[in-house]
Amino acid sequence: MIRFFKVILKNIIQGPSTIKYPFEDSPAPEKLRGKIVHNADACVACHLCEYVCAGGAIKMQESEDHQGIDFVVWHDTCTFCGLCEYYCPTKAIHLTNDYHTAHVQADKYNYVEKTFVKKQPCICCGEPMVPISPAMVEQIYGQEGDIRGLSKMCPQCRRKILWKGGVSKS
Amino acid sequence: MPMSSYNIPIGPVHVVLEEPIYFKLQVEGETVVGLDINAGHVHRGIEFLTMQRNFYQNLTLTERVCSLCSNNHPFTYCMALEKLAGIEIPVRAEYLRTIADEIKRIASHLFNIGIIPHIIGFDSLFMHAMEVRESMQDLKESVFGNRMNLSVNTIGGVRYNITDEQSKYIVKTLENLKKPLAEITKICRTDASIRRRTEGIGVLPKDKAIAYGVVGPVARASGLPYDVRVVNPYAAYDKLTVYPAVEQNGDVFSRLLVRLQEAAESIRIIEQCLHDMPEGPTDLGYMPDIPAGEAIAKSEAPRGELIYYARTNGTPIPERIKWRVPTYPNWAALNVMMPGYKIADISVIIGSIDPCISCTER
Ligand code: SF4
Ligand code: SF4
Repeated sequence: MIRFFKVILKNIIQGPSTIKYPFEDSPAPEKLRGKIVHNADACVACHLCEYVCAGGAIKMQESEDHQGIDFVVWHDTCTFCGLCEYYCPTKAIHLTNDYHTAHVQADKYNYVEKTFVKKQPCICCGEPMVPISPAMVEQIYGQEGDIRGLSKMCPQCRRKILWKGGVSKS
Repeated sequence: MPMSSYNIPIGPVHVVLEEPIYFKLQVEGETVVGLDINAGHVHRGIEFLTMQRNFYQNLTLTERVCSLCSNNHPFTYCMALEKLAGIEIPVRAEYLRTIADEIKRIASHLFNIGIIPHIIGFDSLFMHAMEVRESMQDLKESVFGNRMNLSVNTIGGVRYNITDEQSKYIVKTLENLKKPLAEITKICRTDASIRRRTEGIGVLPKDKAIAYGVVGPVARASGLPYDVRVVNPYAAYDKLTVYPAVEQNGDVFSRLLVRLQEAAESIRIIEQCLHDMPEGPTDLGYMPDIPAGEAIAKSEAPRGELIYYARTNGTPIPERIKWRVPTYPNWAALNVMMPGYKIADISVIIGSIDPCISCTER
């Protein structure tokens, strides 16, 4: 018992270990997985994040006017597992360290991260297509970028151009 | 039958922890003479759900089977799939998996080390142990990004890496844990009120431990030196030295001591890992295809041996995932541990096997 009194005494001198949240701020570590933000400019609409998401929190749907993709993350069903960010080829989806997710019940279905991945016309035929983001272009074509403009073409036109250019030209 | 023999129901609400399990005890006077275990209150059909989701979604799902040993589920699940697909994971990833697992083990054991005094009414030690444990929670939060679900494992490697700075931070946190842990160990070993309530209580003799096939700290407290990390090394354990803690008496006190020693041993294992870990990739760099086949993998979760079985058919969705959790054989052994002891000892006996009901019923 005596031994434990020493511990108690030490703890009394040390003061409380708890903080008075929410009256006092509790800083989150850099790596904490919290609320998701999505950067539509870097997204290539590859659906990988949607595929790996166990919570079914990510929904990607073509917009009604066919001008782009509606990208929705429903925070309330996200488990903060981070798989989407891990497998996203361009890191367009990111888990911030913001853990403040309290909201009123009436808002539960609107509590989402919503972005719009805008399509661009193909430079050959004008058909709207999801552009390959600069981040992805750099990954595929390297530092100097896509000099032949292939990333701005729809898959059909790209195939035609590559065919004309011959297969041996790398 | 004497007049004083009757049945009492214990549970299903709040038996020891906030997990439901229902015991029907036959008592004579104050002494337990027999029991019936009635389980199934938190069955959520997770095994069935794994067969509705693809291999990657199941990483997240299996991590949520349980909280205290959450990391071992995706860990063992990944090992089973990797075995099935013939994937060799990078050496650095093996070490990183081991580090994550041992940090979870310390946090899990410290929880039970706090719960035992709590059950016998020594709440100030419970509070103290939980405060000491908090450093592990902070560590998990800053290194992995969450206090419980680490999200470390993926098929073919790990999803995190540690910088030199983080490695120093881990070493420092563990160093700061050593003294309070030694202090708690000493208090547990010497405090008269703890010993009175735990020594010679809930005894599981060695022969019964073998007969019931108990695993983990429950087995090691009954003199069985069985530890998957030693007898069947996985991840980086074949490159490390692990000394399993073994006690001979098989009572509640021995199980407490085993956990205390294992927490200290885990600190040593992490230090070894951080020292030996080579540079290199942490994952495959691509999402591997899982061919048709079947495989089995096991690991030493904080509560004992965890086994995963996987059968696939070449599609992205598994055909069957089945696991056997350590609490399953351990709680059957309550049939030996409880009879002969007083009603007042029941909760500390249940607490001493560190049951995880949500794992077992999934
Ligand atoms: S957020 Fe990333 S993973 Fe998801 S669709 Fe966009 S690019 Fe693909
Ligand atoms: S963090 Fe996990 S649950 Fe949340 S959106 Fe990403 S994959 Fe889905």
